[in-house]
Amino acid sequence: MAIKSGRLGNVKMGVDLATAANLISINNWTLSLDTEKVEITCFLDVNRVYLPGMRDVSGGLGGFYNASELKLIGATDDDVPSYLVLIPDTTAAAAVYSGPAYLSCEIEVPVGGAPTVKGTFSAAGPWTLPTGA
Amino acid sequence: MPDSTAIDEALRQVLARDAALLALMPDGVWFDAAKPGCKHYVLLTLVSEEDVATFPGRREYEDALYRIHAVALDTSADTAAAAANRIDALLENVALVVAGYSWMTTHREGRVRATPEDPVDPSVHWQVIGGQYRVQMAPVWGVQDGD
Repeated sequence: MAIKSGRLGNVKMGVDLATAANLISINNWTLSLDTEKVEITCFLDVNRVYLPGMRDVSGGLGGFYNASELKLIGATDDDVPSYLVLIPDTTAAAAVYSGPAYLSCEIEVPVGGAPTVKGTFSAAGPWTLPTGA
Repeated sequence: MPDSTAIDEALRQVLARDAALLALMPDGVWFDAAKPGCKHYVLLTLVSEEDVATFPGRREYEDALYRIHAVALDTSADTAAAAANRIDALLENVALVVAGYSWMTTHREGRVRATPEDPVDPSVHWQVIGGQYRVQMAPVWGVQDGD
């Protein structure tokens, strides 16, 4: 797949993959796949040595505050996880990152600009990555 | 489909239809350049414009900065100042109605004032008073636009 513009991105959210619908007024997302490293450095090693531990899945999404789209804000108080679908390119429907997540969010209202919303999430179960990842 | 130039025209119409402003500036309201011979008029210029996008790849709102000022061939600044005050009363925090758009904000970001000499007759001067106005409008996308 060629490199595509971020304008083709999207974020969907629901209680599961089947109900996930577009989150409107969002214009960016990030996904962190940070793998912890376990140090196993021993005598006679010439430098520190590590082994990979468990991968952590977390990230964020942001855009403009829209009174017609309060799912993100409501999810911050949910006892059950939401299901997120992070799409880098809507023309490549199969290449998405998705899974259950708990969310937090923050709203910013500047006097000189449009109000924005910024959410962060942490995995609440196994995430699915595109084939080949 | 939202038409961005409709915002320009709506802004001009708000000023052009006001009797109090026209009494001060009888030569009308013009975009970029007035017709020859005008001595008391209002001039609008689009200084800058930025479209801010959201997924799926279309603009969420249009952020425009207009320079709007009264121009008067006059030894006194009183008439131009009165017209600038009237412009401010008509625009500052007043909803702009444009088909296909939802209004977000209209506010002045800075004043404009100058007294340039006439390029033909340096013995006379123009009074230029007004401001730079920020206008933010959100397009309302319909079903036919893929919403």
